[in-house]
Amino acid sequence: MKFLKLFLVVFLVMLPISAFGKKAKTIEELAAMYDSSSCKECHAEIYGQWEKSHHARSLMGVLGGLFMTPLAMKGKTPFSPDSPDKATLDTFPCFKCHLPQAVTSADDAFAVDYAKALLKQDKARLGKLSITCIVCHNTKAIIHKKSEGHPEANVLYGSKDVAKHEDAKFKTVKKSSIMDHAIMCGQCHGMGPNLEFENPVQCATLYGSYQHNYLSKGGQKSCQECHMKKVDGVADHLLAPNWNDLEATKKILQEAISLDVDMVGYDWLLKSKDHKPMVVVNTRINQNAGHRIPDG
Amino acid sequence: MVLEVTAKTADGKEVYNKERHYHPQATDCRSNKMLYGAQFKTQYIRDTSLQPLETKAESFEIMLPDGVRTVDVTVSLRYEIWKPDHKIEITSISKMVSLDR
Repeated sequence: MKFLKLFLVVFLVMLPISAFGKKAKTIEELAAMYDSSSCKECHAEIYGQWEKSHHARSLMGVLGGLFMTPLAMKGKTPFSPDSPDKATLDTFPCFKCHLPQAVTSADDAFAVDYAKALLKQDKARLGKLSITCIVCHNTKAIIHKKSEGHPEANVLYGSKDVAKHEDAKFKTVKKSSIMDHAIMCGQCHGMGPNLEFENPVQCATLYGSYQHNYLSKGGQKSCQECHMKKVDGVADHLLAPNWNDLEATKKILQEAISLDVDMVGYDWLLKSKDHKPMVVVNTRINQNAGHRIPDG
Repeated sequence: MVLEVTAKTADGKEVYNKERHYHPQATDCRSNKMLYGAQFKTQYIRDTSLQPLETKAESFEIMLPDGVRTVDVTVSLRYEIWKPDHKIEITSISKMVSLDR
């Protein structure tokens, strides 16, 4: 009986670790573990939206820039190793959000491979890694792990239950408690400085702005209501803005921000008998998004 | 985010140009030098960004040179995404302003 209890405890602790099997050691291994290309077969439209999103190039930033490169370069940042061979997962704190599957499913050998690819600016290999469907619909889908358990290996999580899901691996879809809540996005889109690392890291702080400066003014929209508006009844997985698409991004900015201007010209009597020709321009910028603009 | 106000005379000579920059500004808390890069930034030292559900009001006083009574004023609001030349003009408003009736 005692042995059975011990076995159950060890089993339950190890279950989430082993959910995706062994740890990835290369870019290709991790890409294969989180490959979501089979989703395209039935969800072509959503997949097409995602392919154009920043989630699909989460290591590339704007205009294809490999923003993590300094982390792999000796002396460039407090995290940088002396050589790429000495890189570890701790070298890349950005993985927390830009590649969460590296934290859960890769080991230090992967970090070495990744560092070498960065130094070579090997976009073809690095581009294989992204925030795939599995990351949001499995890895990040449960935050109440003590209450609800860790994400199950063969289950996807969405905004509703689907008893039978036609897929070779993910045969069920369960309702996630948070999928349609702002906190789903807030897991990565930032409260403020990340202090769990040996040096602080501060990237996006959008969720902090939303929590403390939007809700407090009576705003009630979720991130998803603006950034995943429904197209034909299905949430848009482009997750706009796509900063590489200037025209579409302009439209979004114009929806959130307006400018009112008033002007007047007059002769200002600064002191007796000394009129100064002056024009006064009064501007008012109105901002209706659920967070500060710009952020980060 | 940059708000730029420009005034030009009828012959195109610029007599006024001012910018206001709106963005959060961070340091590493080890000096007061502003830094870019998530791996360095630790805390905002100043935040002039556009806040949600708020209006940011500015007033620009343009003292015209002697003899100039009419100017074309342009107010432009733009988002500089990555570097200044990678930008989106959100809106631009132009108006001729004269001191004479």
